[in-house]
Amino acid sequence: MDAAVLSAAVLALGYVFHRVDTVLEYRWDWSAIPNSLYRWDEETGRWVPNLLMQGFFTTVRLAILSMIPAALFGAVFGVLRTAGRLLPRLLSRTYVELIRNIPPLVFIFIFYFFISSQIMPILGVEDFVRGASPATLRSLELVFGPAALIPNVISGVICLAMFQGAYMTEIVRAGIQSIPKTQTEAGLSIGLSRWELWRRVILPQALRRVIPPLAGQFITLVKDSSILSLISIQELTFLAMETAVSTTRVFEVWITVAGLYFCLCSLLSLAFGRLERSAAAARA
Amino acid sequence: MTFTGPRPGGALAALLALGVAAGFQLRCAGQQGSAESVVQTIQRRGALKVGVSTFEPWAMRDRNGELVGFEVDVATKLAEDMGVGIEFVPTSWDGIIPALLAGKFDVIIGGMSVRPQRNLTINFTIPYAHSGMGIAANRDLAAHLAWPDGYDSEEVTVTCRRGATSCNDVDRLFPTATVRRFDDDLQALQEVLNGNAHAVLSSYPKPVEWAGRNPELLFLPTTDNLSQGDEAFGLRKGDPDALNFFSNWIRVNTTSGWLPARYDYWFKTTNWIDDVRPGSKPQQ
Repeated sequence: MDAAVLSAAVLALGYVFHRVDTVLEYRWDWSAIPNSLYRWDEETGRWVPNLLMQGFFTTVRLAILSMIPAALFGAVFGVLRTAGRLLPRLLSRTYVELIRNIPPLVFIFIFYFFISSQIMPILGVEDFVRGASPATLRSLELVFGPAALIPNVISGVICLAMFQGAYMTEIVRAGIQSIPKTQTEAGLSIGLSRWELWRRVILPQALRRVIPPLAGQFITLVKDSSILSLISIQELTFLAMETAVSTTRVFEVWITVAGLYFCLCSLLSLAFGRLERSAAAARA
Repeated sequence: MTFTGPRPGGALAALLALGVAAGFQLRCAGQQGSAESVVQTIQRRGALKVGVSTFEPWAMRDRNGELVGFEVDVATKLAEDMGVGIEFVPTSWDGIIPALLAGKFDVIIGGMSVRPQRNLTINFTIPYAHSGMGIAANRDLAAHLAWPDGYDSEEVTVTCRRGATSCNDVDRLFPTATVRRFDDDLQALQEVLNGNAHAVLSSYPKPVEWAGRNPELLFLPTTDNLSQGDEAFGLRKGDPDALNFFSNWIRVNTTSGWLPARYDYWFKTTNWIDDVRPGSKPQQ
């Protein structure tokens, strides 16, 4: 039975490819792709990343860098969402609803041009990078990538963290609220303080429950980082567009990019699967 | 470049451009006294920041991922003449006007055509290039059509790039033909190669290059200019010093013959193709 399903799937796929080939008048030419990934640098005599891999590394950086503030927003606002007092609940509710009810693309456009454009000059990132000593610049480049792109990457990180944080807030809230009320009552009755109750009873249990949905959200974050191409953050999708236009190998470039995203996201899935198992093992 | 639709991109981009313009003006109203010309800002910073959008042959990526093209030559010479360094800010076309207004760079040198609607939001210098519009058609579908009257028929489908002059030209030249608008020139071309549309409009030298690369599928009904564009530098409003400086730079370099010579190199020869797309030089 399984074999039948599998072979049917392979046949269907083959048919699709065959149809694409007859409908699409396109001369496949993959020769430009390897050079778009890595190129031989005559000056240094080494292989160096070309546009697509530069974009890939920027995407990895964006993903890792924005995960931290996004998780932080998620944790803080998630806890506030379950607070007893009205003001914190109102604040975090406003944040979540504002972002959840606007399409990500529209949010990023508005946030970038109206808010981030005001924040960035205040932070003085650009002047700081321009005036930084070589040693500082080296460590900055290690974290943020090429110096010229640091302000660009930071705006990308802020945008991505702001809007992913809202979804994480909801996950954290659901995790905390899924802990039965009896646990709180039991904790309080044995004389735990509010802080101890959170630290020893509620958070450890909630954390285990939110790992799987959070993992899913982190993977969504990686994929959603592609929308940042619209505000010209120099990540994988943006540089893929540039490469596609310059080489005119549109389909080859996009198939390669799909493969790169797939590798990145499936690696993340694997890593989170491990984390879940070790969390489960720690409990047992 | 020929993105000369009534709006820079979609309605969204136009709306945001207006919105950012409004926000920018509000912010500026408070600091009217201390406003300095962008020319001074560039000199103080020691670098000219130029917004470019990838579009053949204005700005493209070569084999090493570096920007090359007519635009790049112009901006580099401009920076040299000012005695400052050059920084390119690759920007997606839909966001290039909002990004200028938000101060992400000093000037758009992106093959932007002068349009009254656009001019309400930003200032333009005198033109530094005049690009021409051409047409390439599918041999099987359009070889029997008389040029140009045969193309003005309900049976005929013409493709173009959304928000570009080409789409306006289709409406003007072939009012009864069906228009299909694409996000990208290469998609518009692919539709014609696939035999789903009769002809594609785009700015020179693209139609010539496409027909040269697919001689058995495409032909050129005409090599005349269907229309002519006026491309100029784009600047933020309220800065007469910068407008005067850039316009006169263009005037001087047009008179000296430098600008026309660079234009001819990028638009009338194919000497550059091997640097951008090795092995794809069209045979003529």
